[in-house]
Amino acid sequence: MNLTETPEERTFRAEVQAWMAAHLTGEFAALRGCHGPGEERFDAALAKRWEQELATAGWVGIGWPQAAGGAGLPLGKQIIFHEEYVRAGGPGRLGHIGEQLFAPTLIDFGTPAQQARFLPGIRAGREYWAQGYSEPNAGSDLANVRTRARLDVERGEWVIDGQKVWTSWAQEADWIFVLARTEEGSQRHHGLSLLLVPLHQPGVTVRPIRQMTGGAEFNEVFFDGARTEGSLHLGPVGEGWKVAMALLGYERGVSTLGQQAQFRHELDLVIAAARANGAAQDPVLRQRIADAALRLATLRFHALRVLGAGGASHAAYTAKYAWSNWRRDLGQLAADVLGRAGDVVRADDAARTRLQQVWLSSRADTIYAGTNEIQLNLIAERALGMPREERKGP
Amino acid sequence: MDLALDDDQQAIAQAAADFLAEACAAPAMRAAADSADGMDRALWQGIVEQGWCAVAAPEAEGGLGLGEVGLALLAEQLGRHLAGVPFFESAIEAAALLRACGNPEPALLAGVASGAVLVLAAHATHADASTTPAGDWRLDGTWPQVPGAAWADNFLLLIEGESPRLFWVPAPELAVEPLAMIDTTRRSASVHAHAVHVPATALLAEGAALRTALVHARGLAAIALAAEQVGVAQQCLDLTLAYAAQRMQFGRPIASFQAVKHRCAQMLVAIESARSAVYGAAAVADAAPEATTLSFHAAEAWCAACDAVRYAAQEAIQLHGGVGYTWEVDVQRYFKRAQANRVRGGDPSTWRERVAAQLLDAAP
Ligand SMILES: Cc1cc2nc3c(=O)[nH]c(=O)nc-3n(C[C@H](O)[C@H](O)[C@H](O)COP(=O)(O)OP(=O)(O)OC[C@H]3O[C@@H](n4cnc5c(N)ncnc54)[C@H](O)[C@@H]3O)c2cc1C
Repeated sequence: MNLTETPEERTFRAEVQAWMAAHLTGEFAALRGCHGPGEERFDAALAKRWEQELATAGWVGIGWPQAAGGAGLPLGKQIIFHEEYVRAGGPGRLGHIGEQLFAPTLIDFGTPAQQARFLPGIRAGREYWAQGYSEPNAGSDLANVRTRARLDVERGEWVIDGQKVWTSWAQEADWIFVLARTEEGSQRHHGLSLLLVPLHQPGVTVRPIRQMTGGAEFNEVFFDGARTEGSLHLGPVGEGWKVAMALLGYERGVSTLGQQAQFRHELDLVIAAARANGAAQDPVLRQRIADAALRLATLRFHALRVLGAGGASHAAYTAKYAWSNWRRDLGQLAADVLGRAGDVVRADDAARTRLQQVWLSSRADTIYAGTNEIQLNLIAERALGMPREERKGP
Repeated sequence: MDLALDDDQQAIAQAAADFLAEACAAPAMRAAADSADGMDRALWQGIVEQGWCAVAAPEAEGGLGLGEVGLALLAEQLGRHLAGVPFFESAIEAAALLRACGNPEPALLAGVASGAVLVLAAHATHADASTTPAGDWRLDGTWPQVPGAAWADNFLLLIEGESPRLFWVPAPELAVEPLAMIDTTRRSASVHAHAVHVPATALLAEGAALRTALVHARGLAAIALAAEQVGVAQQCLDLTLAYAAQRMQFGRPIASFQAVKHRCAQMLVAIESARSAVYGAAAVADAAPEATTLSFHAAEAWCAACDAVRYAAQEAIQLHGGVGYTWEVDVQRYFKRAQANRVRGGDPSTWRERVAAQLLDAAP
């Protein structure tokens, strides 16, 4: 247990600071503090060039093992990177799904050929990925996926039919990992495979869905005889469920470190707004702001506790529920601190716009990557060993 | 940067859990709680023999060198067992204050390490210290509700005022009057000083230096008491899980109802968060923090632990149904201890307001 920064970590912090100061300039200055769609100034092409700028300096894949082409940085340095990135105004990361969710899973389950093919593109900020899990009838009940894939033996290709929904960033992505039923007539989590499918092809249609934030980050994705090479299944055919769950582990774990740095920035904006408009004098809001700051510090400690070497795996189950509900509370606090001004759109007021987005976007946190209710089921069943939910039908 | 427990820390936590499972099993805990003065002396002797009272002291001073983290790990286990011993009073609260004052009377701290019970009496209704012509001090006052007082060998008497003063006084010099408690696992007594004469050397600290030391020690004590609250909360959850697994209603164990599962899961969320807060705050405390940093993280640990234990104790009673309302089932003892601890450490809203002042009132 050690919270003191080593001299090496301090040097690293200074290095990140200097790099951000030197590089988040020129055309990239427009991205400073920009989070994503819903903000007028968001520009996906520019955000991708920014990813490449990061990649050139070796800031993509910092947590991957060196053997996989990453920097293999220990947890402490990863945290420092994220903290300084956000402090300098670094924008939301378009490459997040590829770098933080897909790549670690590819490193665990992919063949050497698959790794050689896909890791460099992600690492260079050239190829972007989307997550094709949810379907209209398979949300919390993910094992109910109906999207089917059959092997066209003659051409050695998978042929995919079905529909995914709520697919984040599919409109900007090049590839999608699709949880599909590859064994006809199979039930639940049997007979599923995780297929790697190119999005730019005639058999795939991507349709953005407008969110309550006003922007469109997620999409519907239709597969109509879409194709991918026969070798592009991650893990064995028919065992995609296990791989899909491992990926969710990354989504709920290490990948949240960057978010936490973002949360700190958002809380600072709430504090600044409260000081500016007098909300900081309200005794109840003072309590809520202090509470938010204290609980955020705990999210950081919690991550250091469960993600560190030999960390408390039992406690890992509670992390997603804790951070997502923290953020939802922060969103409500942001709206309450803004008061009447929170209902008025002012594109020229960047801080207000951001806080309005925090309020609205925080409603998603307790839904994606496993809803609150699903998280509580998981905690009860996996961490506490309580009886499993009853299931009806096939 | 890493907050996982290291080998030494894991070892002491495990040793403490094993030792208390045996030495302070539920029947022994109940016996102590229902006894005349509430103290389990055999247990205390065992604790002293294991060196727990010197767990935080540096190895050079004969301690185990495990710092605030070590104290927190032990306090957590003691909370789990509602141990009727003055560990918090003596080895944590009083020792922290002595150390924060620069250890002005080393024999006192050495006494604590070897099991002499030292108790801080604060919050006097009236108290006064005056010098006598002979050059010693005359002390008068009443400290109406001092936890652990009936078990004390020595007292630290805090006399507030324009310039606060801290004296040490052997217990026999004072009149100690035990109080009947709701939480019988930790007894308080009122302490009276009537024309008590002590030598000049009994004045340990005063003035601004003492004020600073009090704030520092308050932070350390809050972190350790928070650890105790985590232990209390954990036991509430464990008792509930055991009961819910075997209690059948509607032809199934109540543990299979989603409403019950979710309540238990939310207890675990609160408990694990509080545990992270406590371990993190303790690690901060061990790294010679600035005063504002310590008070922020002490508030963090304290508020998280009080929230967790309030929820856990409440739901533990709820999920036990009618038996949860009985004297016989232990959850009521945990419920009472949680509240007694809460008022002892100070209401979380007070701590949050201190943090709010740091965040919102200081010049940006
Ligand atoms: C912003 C955003 C981005 C997303 N991005 C992606 C993405 O990139 N890729 C992807 O595949 N998916 C994505 N999702 C989808 C997300 O994973 C699902 O929305 C989520 O799993 C819930 O599924 P559902 O929407 O079908 O809700 P449902 O499963 O229909 O749930 C409705 C309600 O019922 C509750 N409920 C369901 N089952 C139970 C149960 N057993 N016990 C108690 N309560 C239950 C739920 O908790 C919820 O409150 C995204 C979602 C959002 C909001």
